[in-house]
Amino acid sequence: MEQEIALSAREQAELPLLGRLHEWVVTVDHKRLGLMYIGGGLLFFVVAGLQAVMMRLQLAVPDNHLVPPQVFNRFLTMHGTAMVFLVGMPILTGYFNYLVPLMVGARDLAFPRLNSFGFWLWFFGALLLYFSYIGGDGLYGAGSAPDVGWFAYAPLTERAFSRGNSTDYWILSIFLTSVGSTATAVNIITTAFCMRCRGMTLGKMPVVVWLAVVVAFMMLLALPPLSAAQVMLLLDRFAGAHFFDTQAGGSALLWQHFFWIFGHPEVYILVIPVFGFASEIIPVFSRKVIFGYQVMVAASIAIAFISMGVWAHHMFAVGMTPAGNAFFATSTMLVAVPTGIKIFNWIGTIWGGKIRLRVPMLFSLAFLFQFMIAGLTGIMLAVAPFDWQLTDTYFVVAHFHYVLIGAIVFMIFAASYYWFPKATGRMLNERLGQVHFWLFLIGFHLTFDPLHFAGIHGMPRRIYTYQPGRGLEGLNLIASIGAVIQALAVLVFVINVVYSLAWGEEAGPDPWDAWTLEWSTASPPPEYNFAVEPEVYSRRPLWDLKHPDDPDWLYE
Amino acid sequence: MSEASDQSRERVPKTVQVPAPTAWPMIAALGLTMAFAGLVTSFVVSAVGAVLLLAGAVGWFGEVFPQQHCELAEVEPAAAPVIAARAAAARLAVGEQGHRGILPLEIYPYSAGIKGGIAGGFVMAGLAVIHGVLAHGSPWYTINILAATAMANLANASTAALSAFDPQAFMVALVIHGIVSLLVGLLYGVMLPIVPRNPIFFGGVVAPLLWSGILYASLKVINPVLDARIEWRWFVLCQIGFGVVAGLVVARSERIHTFQHLPFAMRMGIEAPGVMSKRERG
Amino acid sequence: MATAAVSPIVPPVHAQWNLPRRGRAGILALILTETAFFSIFVAAYVFYIGKSLSPPYPRDVLSPPIVNTICLLSSSITIVLAVRALRAGHTRVFGLWWLVTFMLGLEFLAGTAAEWYGLIYHDHLTISTNLFGTTFYSLVGLHAMHVTIGLIMILVVMLLTAGGHLSRRYAEHTEMLSWYWHFVDAVWVVVFTTVYVIGR
Ligand SMILES: [Cu+2]
Repeated sequence: MEQEIALSAREQAELPLLGRLHEWVVTVDHKRLGLMYIGGGLLFFVVAGLQAVMMRLQLAVPDNHLVPPQVFNRFLTMHGTAMVFLVGMPILTGYFNYLVPLMVGARDLAFPRLNSFGFWLWFFGALLLYFSYIGGDGLYGAGSAPDVGWFAYAPLTERAFSRGNSTDYWILSIFLTSVGSTATAVNIITTAFCMRCRGMTLGKMPVVVWLAVVVAFMMLLALPPLSAAQVMLLLDRFAGAHFFDTQAGGSALLWQHFFWIFGHPEVYILVIPVFGFASEIIPVFSRKVIFGYQVMVAASIAIAFISMGVWAHHMFAVGMTPAGNAFFATSTMLVAVPTGIKIFNWIGTIWGGKIRLRVPMLFSLAFLFQFMIAGLTGIMLAVAPFDWQLTDTYFVVAHFHYVLIGAIVFMIFAASYYWFPKATGRMLNERLGQVHFWLFLIGFHLTFDPLHFAGIHGMPRRIYTYQPGRGLEGLNLIASIGAVIQALAVLVFVINVVYSLAWGEEAGPDPWDAWTLEWSTASPPPEYNFAVEPEVYSRRPLWDLKHPDDPDWLYE
Repeated sequence: MSEASDQSRERVPKTVQVPAPTAWPMIAALGLTMAFAGLVTSFVVSAVGAVLLLAGAVGWFGEVFPQQHCELAEVEPAAAPVIAARAAAARLAVGEQGHRGILPLEIYPYSAGIKGGIAGGFVMAGLAVIHGVLAHGSPWYTINILAATAMANLANASTAALSAFDPQAFMVALVIHGIVSLLVGLLYGVMLPIVPRNPIFFGGVVAPLLWSGILYASLKVINPVLDARIEWRWFVLCQIGFGVVAGLVVARSERIHTFQHLPFAMRMGIEAPGVMSKRERG
Repeated sequence: MATAAVSPIVPPVHAQWNLPRRGRAGILALILTETAFFSIFVAAYVFYIGKSLSPPYPRDVLSPPIVNTICLLSSSITIVLAVRALRAGHTRVFGLWWLVTFMLGLEFLAGTAAEWYGLIYHDHLTISTNLFGTTFYSLVGLHAMHVTIGLIMILVVMLLTAGGHLSRRYAEHTEMLSWYWHFVDAVWVVVFTTVYVIGR
């Protein structure tokens, strides 16, 4: 059997630019695809973030005319859609792509070509969404992006109310990215169950891998409802079907149910991965083992299960039966139990530890507090009458941005500082990282703390402006200033990445003195990950190797 | 360690098989996307997409049939097995007291928390009744106010009605006060051993002030009628009274060792042979 | 506190290390996500039973496709026989059973096509006629699409067999394909019950 010899890393670096690009395009290596996911996600993060800044500038003062109403609607739709499907999902699946094989001691994902297929499907789907700016109105008009909000409620998205093709772009591109994500989910599950190195029983997998499996299962179960509903909407729009057509007896509520059967678990698809990051970073920077490994995993599985049965808490205001309201309010509050357990476990891990306040740990600590506040406002919104009062106000916006930024984005930054040296061989600059952290923290709180109060004062979300004299001016101005500060912080991060790629301190294989398998190979890892397939005896294989006199497996 | 690494170095292969790079999956993905995009652009785009999808699928199949395409990656002569602790920290010796201890090593028993809750609850109730007598001339006033948190009709009652004895309100207030006192006492029992420095100061002053502050800030929004009836200085005093007494009772009780380091079977009292490994039996 | 003397503790030797096969985990995951996809369409169908505002209604135009169902379900048996033959190394027997499976599947598709032809041209029921048409064509059509995909894959294997490229080595792969086929069958049982039993 003849086989070609792969180019070594050095040989690849000597290729001309086009050749190097070609190497990336045809790759099936999980590390490269993971980095491409993360890089693509960061690109769209900047785009969708700038749209958010534009919206905040429009709202900085009352009766503003910076962004016209139609453009504002497109901005909020594209911002929401992109942040969920083109930023959150790909960055997190990118991390899983990169980390899962390394952490279970495998040389690649189970299906490397399927992985490449999934990535490109996601990427082309994303391009299709942005192409709507050019081709959104179809052949008879100029372009315009979708403007129906990220949950695209039917029947308002039917042909009769949403003309042109912009909504079709939303349907098609999101359908494609969902298929791509499903491919990744299949890959992650198979890798975790079938590719573990010798000795890594399920009970010895790193928490990140466990949570990757949980998230992958949730993707398999939660993405299809969205895709199915999108197919129905597409049939309505193109084939004259009547799924959501109220004039033919169709339901105006069905879409909302289908969407939120997907939509609520989606929040957990985004947040459970960062639970995994926290469960990896906090122990390493506290110099202690994770507190309650089994409970941590069990709580995540419990969250995944419960989250499948709470979707209608997004629909209290549509007028369900009292029994329905009571059921969904109760099941939603139930989520607080496993979530609380996790928070206590993280605190238990930090408590009594020898804490190293490096940038990843700073972000993790901020995550802990912000996630707790987000959870508390979540429970407030789970109370149906409270929700009737505050639904579709900025209180809701502030609540979920506390989850999405305060928890998820903060932990994505933590993970970036933590694993950047592994992926590139160089450390991110610590001082710039500190500047980034503090700027982002201040900007975040300036923006989203006041918005809670704007919501309580009755400021409705998704409206392009507001009137003066209603007590909203000050709150909104502060929020907009905060948005600009956040943008500056992200700029510092980008500068840090570019600077550190060129001049960063050499990392070596294990800069954090960590314990999971990815740190046992070179930084960046060679294409084959491990020259010798590793063998593990405990949850902290590197601890065992570093302390052969006092190994973990004696005590687990 | 040295022996093991010698062995593993011998096992290091010269090359490792890795899946060969291929563009077919990407072409298939592009085809699928274009097939979809045709719906909103032109039929031609769909047609081209379908052709690309087919080509991609066939090419992909060729990559895995009859044999997976692989490449040989040369193993880099890495300075690889860099495996050593970075910091030369002093560590507890194996078997030494506290080695691999599960924190906290010592806790208060749950009974201490319950006792603290009961004692604190009595003191708090006493302070509250004194406040009722001093400010409104009736011991029932504060009791009725507490009951009003659960009984909506009481919240709108007149001061005179609040000063009168109401058996139902008394029972409700008693149940609320009792349960909350017990639970907060338990919480103190669990939390105080992990609080740094002075537990009585934390439990007696810091926690009541924090709690009162939260309530003071939010009650105006949640229940303005009730808020108007509460005298916050007395409220804080009652809380501190509870905190200090409960904290004192808890802190004075005997600490006990946790049994977390013992194997699960032993903690459950199972003595069947073979349940524990030799090591666990110590 | 003391720095411990280094006396390495030798870890236990791992006995066997058996993991599930990749193909199986992958196909099961795929089946799981497809199940979720179908269940939404089934839910929509059930939700809209009896809610059509205009005729035709299911009880007037639908008759249970018994022959079709028997063909599809028996193809699940023949595909098992085929895979078993391949495992035993009997490539020709495999080819025979595989062909039977393909023909049975094809019959099902042809039967569905005939049913649809009657519904469209005789009963004037299309996807845009009423809610029944909408949910019927989308659910049954979705299933028929999965049958078609399965048949294409079966056809590819059949061509490879005819060309003499298939051997015992690929028994595992054909078995995975058979799992997908069983899934398509199981979905049909649900669809049949929903559409032709409950929905009528
Ligand atoms: Cu939700």
